[in-house]
Amino acid sequence: MGESTDIISDLPQSIIENILTRLSIRDAIRTSVLSSKWRYKWSTLTDLVFDEKCVAPASDRGVVENSLVRFITGVLLLHQGPIHKFQLSTSFLQCRPDIDQWLLFLSRNGIKELVLELGEGEFRVPSCLFRCSKLTRLELCHCEFDPPQYFKGFSSLKSLNLHQILVAPEVIESLISGCPLLEYLSLSYFDSLVLRISAPSLMYLYLDGEFKDIFLENTPKLVAISVSMYMHEDVTDFEQSSDYNLVKFLGGVPLLEKLVGYIYFTKYLSIGDDPGRLPITYIHLKTIELYQVSFEDANEVLVLLRLVTHSPNLKDLKVSASPIQLFPLEEEGFDLVERDYFEYKLPRLETVRMTDVSGIRNELEFIRFLLGTSPVLETVIVTSSLSDKDAKMDMVVELLRFPRVSPRAKFLFLQD
Amino acid sequence: MSEGDMAIMKPETMKSYIWLQTADGSIQQVEQEVAMFCPMICQEVIQKGAGSSKNQAISLPQRVNPALFSLILDYCRFHQVPGRSNKERKTYDEKFIRMDTKRLCELTSAADSLQLKPLVDLTSRALARIIEGKTPEEIREIFHLPDDLTEEEKLEPLKNTMDDPRIRLLNRLYAKKRKELKERERLKNVEVEGRVDERSVDDLLTYINGRGPKVVKMPKGKKKKKKKKEQKIVSSDEKEGPQEFHDKESHDLHSEEQEGVDESGSSMREVPNLPSMEDDIFTPEAGSEDGDMDDEIDPAMKEMLDREVEDFARRLNSNWVRSRGQERRPVHFSINGNGTTRRHIG
Repeated sequence: MGESTDIISDLPQSIIENILTRLSIRDAIRTSVLSSKWRYKWSTLTDLVFDEKCVAPASDRGVVENSLVRFITGVLLLHQGPIHKFQLSTSFLQCRPDIDQWLLFLSRNGIKELVLELGEGEFRVPSCLFRCSKLTRLELCHCEFDPPQYFKGFSSLKSLNLHQILVAPEVIESLISGCPLLEYLSLSYFDSLVLRISAPSLMYLYLDGEFKDIFLENTPKLVAISVSMYMHEDVTDFEQSSDYNLVKFLGGVPLLEKLVGYIYFTKYLSIGDDPGRLPITYIHLKTIELYQVSFEDANEVLVLLRLVTHSPNLKDLKVSASPIQLFPLEEEGFDLVERDYFEYKLPRLETVRMTDVSGIRNELEFIRFLLGTSPVLETVIVTSSLSDKDAKMDMVVELLRFPRVSPRAKFLFLQD
Repeated sequence: MSEGDMAIMKPETMKSYIWLQTADGSIQQVEQEVAMFCPMICQEVIQKGAGSSKNQAISLPQRVNPALFSLILDYCRFHQVPGRSNKERKTYDEKFIRMDTKRLCELTSAADSLQLKPLVDLTSRALARIIEGKTPEEIREIFHLPDDLTEEEKLEPLKNTMDDPRIRLLNRLYAKKRKELKERERLKNVEVEGRVDERSVDDLLTYINGRGPKVVKMPKGKKKKKKKKEQKIVSSDEKEGPQEFHDKESHDLHSEEQEGVDESGSSMREVPNLPSMEDDIFTPEAGSEDGDMDDEIDPAMKEMLDREVEDFARRLNSNWVRSRGQERRPVHFSINGNGTTRRHIG
């Protein structure tokens, strides 16, 4: 046993594969010319991840595309044994018959995780995909998704991510409800969709698009929600209903730990007839992040206040105000004292981050409320969208006057 | 005696200990919560109730020698403490894996045999980082791997994925040449070898990129290949005339290697002139297991091979006629009386 013994080659194949899996597929395949023992070590790798870096760069798009196709076909032909993960992330490939063939090959080799991030094109998911009953993770980007009649769902699927997919709304809904084990769902780039989600195991939900309405019909296990809500023209695009969206949307998620909303999400929650008091308490909710909240709108402020006061374990709060609008809305006065909000306590709130504060009354009142009700508050970070130095100074002076019930609370004013 | 040890130990420290035996026979006591961090030990204790006394010491796997085991225990001792931050753990891990690659391999193996997955992952990641982006020569040097593949093995595709009788035939033909190639390789100087190796890797990838024989067709490069082929055949025909097949082939293969050296830098790109005829035909899709039959060739075998060569030449002719008959006239192989082959333009 001298210095020059070759130890790595005799490591168990499971370890070798553990090492090779951490290399790029190109580096992994290159090991086949190291020595006779390394000849086929890569060929039983169960995870294959491809992108355009697999092949030599070329200025001609077609050259890269062709060599990438040949590379992947070659690897699949040389591969032996099951393939559990196949990922192809490249904008260089859009719709090519080769992809259909690869998918057929994969569907016969026990594929469990499939990630297809193609360039924008008209790639239509081939029917063999719907026979991959072992799939646990499916991510599709830029595809047309049209399952055959017999398709009833993926019985093992835990994670589904669809980005810019051409699909009928009812297909999405039946796909979701046809995957009983689904824990993670991400839908992005969907237009004018009224979405009903029934997923009894769902824990993580990410939505991004122009949703007209969202119904969480059967999602008792949700722990994290993130929604980016866009709109065509204005708020009237949202389905008007007599139900209060805050209650409708967040009424059936008692285990929620994290809530994140962008763009018009807060506005969406604020629509509907006000029930007066929220019927639910979110005892697990620790993090709330609501961005682009329009503080001029008293209803949005109310959504914010209700969420905060019904989350006794809230630790982190991040709120950004809408950037200054060209024609600002008339600010609706909002008297917190009158509404008894200072009776509440936010017993666990530690950090607050308020960004894009423009110094309007409702914003300052909201900060005053947080300072006056959070006994363990440690840090309040404020950034302002005001460009005028004096106006900014006035705002800071005002904020510093507010009484703080937490002796440790400190203000940080950040320039951005 | 062991009971007595335990009796003294226990009240002192108020901890329970597990008895463990490494492959060299030495027995030691380890704090239970540390030892139990290894699933393999944990299973022995829980399922078999082992390790509670010296005569019931748990035998550790062969791969875990005392030095490695104490290293592993350090790792376990640190990580079994609850409440450490991710950052702390990460910093510890990074320091922990600072060791030579030999040790790293042994540690990976030992951790694997104890089913200590986090440590296997940590060390595997470290090994992957060492391999990442390196040339085969560098990797061979770092891990002391034997450079035991022949040039053509490095060039040749990885696996016979098509059950083509022609390929099987080629494998046998190629086995004949193996010995000579080895001889030639020995003569090559180190500098050239290094460059040759680099080219080989690229060719390997190029093969996968589809320029290898038969698996994936690549019409664009093909035409030019043919041109080159023609030149080569013409020249060898003129210069050497009919020649014994055996010698001729090895000559061509050899000259091919030299060529490859010159072209080493460019072979990754879409340079169509690298693979000449031998590449096209005589690159068998051989598994290394096929290479075992090479060294001695008895006369009966030789006769059989020659017959196959004949057969092979016929196949080639027909194949070429079919594949690109209109473009240019096919190259013909003719067989002379004693079973050797020569080529000429028909």
